Amino acid sequence: MAKILCAIRGGEASVQTQDAAIELAKKQESELLYLFVFDIDFMDKTERAFRRDVIAREMDHMAEFLLLMAVERAKEQGVKSTMLIRHGKLREELTDVANDPQISHLVLGRPADDESFFTLDELQELAKEIETKTQTTVIFAEYSIDENN
Amino acid sequence: MLRRTGVFDERRLITGVVNTVINPIVNSKLVRNFESWLPQFEKRMGWLFLLAIILISLLLPATALAQESDQKSLTGRLVDLQGQSIQEAKILVFIDGHSAPDYEFETNHDGVFLFDFPAGDLTDLRLEMSHHHFQTVSWDATVEELAALREGTALRVPDFEMERRITVGFWAATLVFIAVLALIITERLHSTIAALLGAGLLLIISLMGDQLYIFDFERAIGYVDFNVIFLVMGMMIIVGTIEHTGIFQWIAYQAYRISRGKIWLLAVILMLFTSVASALLDNVTTMLLMAPISIQIALALGINPLALLIPEMLASNVGGIATLIGTPNNILIGSYAGLGFTDFLNDLTPGVLIVQVVVTVYVLLIFRSDYRLSDETDSRDLLNLLKENARITEPDNLRKAGIVFIGTLLLFVFGENFHLVPAVTAMIGAAITLVVVSSDVDEIFRVVDWSTLLFFIALFMIVGAVQEVGLISMIAVGIHKLVAGNLLAAILAVIWGTGLMCLLVPTIPLTAALLPVVGFLTQAIPGAGNALYYGLSMGSALGANNSLIGATNNMVTAGIAKRAGYPISYRSFIKVGFPAALISMFLGSLYILWKF
Repeated sequence: MAKILCAIRGGEASVQTQDAAIELAKKQESELLYLFVFDIDFMDKTERAFRRDVIAREMDHMAEFLLLMAVERAKEQGVKSTMLIRHGKLREELTDVANDPQISHLVLGRPADDESFFTLDELQELAKEIETKTQTTVIFAEYSIDENN
Repeated sequence: MLRRTGVFDERRLITGVVNTVINPIVNSKLVRNFESWLPQFEKRMGWLFLLAIILISLLLPATALAQESDQKSLTGRLVDLQGQSIQEAKILVFIDGHSAPDYEFETNHDGVFLFDFPAGDLTDLRLEMSHHHFQTVSWDATVEELAALREGTALRVPDFEMERRITVGFWAATLVFIAVLALIITERLHSTIAALLGAGLLLIISLMGDQLYIFDFERAIGYVDFNVIFLVMGMMIIVGTIEHTGIFQWIAYQAYRISRGKIWLLAVILMLFTSVASALLDNVTTMLLMAPISIQIALALGINPLALLIPEMLASNVGGIATLIGTPNNILIGSYAGLGFTDFLNDLTPGVLIVQVVVTVYVLLIFRSDYRLSDETDSRDLLNLLKENARITEPDNLRKAGIVFIGTLLLFVFGENFHLVPAVTAMIGAAITLVVVSSDVDEIFRVVDWSTLLFFIALFMIVGAVQEVGLISMIAVGIHKLVAGNLLAAILAVIWGTGLMCLLVPTIPLTAALLPVVGFLTQAIPGAGNALYYGLSMGSALGANNSLIGATNNMVTAGIAKRAGYPISYRSFIKVGFPAALISMFLGSLYILWKF
């Protein structure tokens, strides 16, 4: 069975990406694979000692929690999903996971604001690179800001 | 350091030794009585005994001889225009009008010199005092002073003031200092690499000629405060063993349970815990461990995680001030000013409590709408996962490390009674922690961040360089003039100046650079006591709430939040943090003014 890969974080923008992935999974009758990639480069900003394995473990817990929220959201809408946590840079890890022949589509969220990891141009370039390398179709989820919120 | 030059010294030395050592011994009562008390001994044996004493005496350092004899000596001290002692200044001694110096020596760490004269007539005496970063000064003994010296009086001359001179080395050191700060601020290089590069450059520049000389390696090492290095290292080991036991996550989860959906109460408990943990452990560790679990709790409650994270960041910055070990800034200040654990507890903790209460009220007002919007999850799986993620993972190690940690805290408090310095207490605590919790030596390499220690060492050298060439002294004099020697103005300048500078400069280099300035102001302003040191502590910590880059714990928390999909923008933090910083600095100023 083909799988749809959906790279997520938390936050409103990510929920909209998840919804787009769920819709696609329903249409394609596919399973979803939620991916959470993180690095701990922010540790370079500290002049204080801290075991990187300890903070990585805590980040794993947080990622697991966010992924479980996404899995439950998919489950509520009748879509089966699994989750995967990767440590490293999003670009490399995403390409690597998308390389799995079972992955038919990759759903990415558009950058929500200036604080996003990628600009739209960078994300489109990444999408092109992944499509070339892995034969996976990349789909961008639209992000709309709720004016009432 | 006494070094002899000139051509008549051997004769002078022998005469000096005979006059000052042998004659007093030969003529002493002890020797005269020795012969009468032990008549059965051959006189020859007595003289052999005497010879042995003389040989031993000759092996003793010259200063020791001088102290034990009534030899004529000259003592003095070299100071700059601000009264700060000048170390390692070169002093040339010209006796009896010789054109070449007869003696050459250096001032000690207090800027003091002690010169023992050889025996013989003294018709003229001239001293020439020089230092790379000061104008040369000379002194001629008056007729009365010469007469006093000839009579064997130990003469103490008034302090010699030396005026700074601006060398090319001054500009070189200043440029390196600014460049290192710029590299750290702009994050073009890792702070440790930037600092090491700066320290290396300063030492290389010093080799490039007299005009460029800043200091030598020995002097640079002298600026490194090893009390700070060992205290930081010891605390790293102690905290390192506690951080992976799961205690932080467990307490956060208990706060979630106790608050029973009352988010304002949860926020208050989390702020209180973050504050206490930051004071007793370290604020970066606290936020690194609190941020991921707080995000999960917020999501379980259906609120924006920033409504818990930002209050925790504010509380962490305030709480860290309360103790000597709460922030690296306090460790730096404590070591420089000789302030111990109980000094901080007595003098700062009450003020921190007041500030913390007000900041908590402020936070409850700012986030009141978030705290009303609870949409708690009813997912059993999510709640079970939260509980699982918040369990204590190493209960046995927690118990052992906890006991050692409490013991170390008690030793910090009571150790001062028998002059146990905090660095030693921390090292004792670290050693016991390693023995009790983990005897694996590799553990030391995992929990000690050598990069941080190197950063501190290099930073001390860089700040030492600008101190050596006179930049710090110039800044200190400028501030002293600005505040017109008024204590009230000085306290406000230190707290607010430091607090606002945190907007641009990371607090650790800022505190390290400002410490000698505050040290000077403390000496120069009557009645300053420790007020300015505590002002620096307050300013550097409370100012951290001014901006996202103001403190390391702010930045690591923002890093975690961004990875969770809840980025804290510079603007969003400043909107909450800046008023909090203003309120807390205002209260902090009032407290310091009231207390001192």
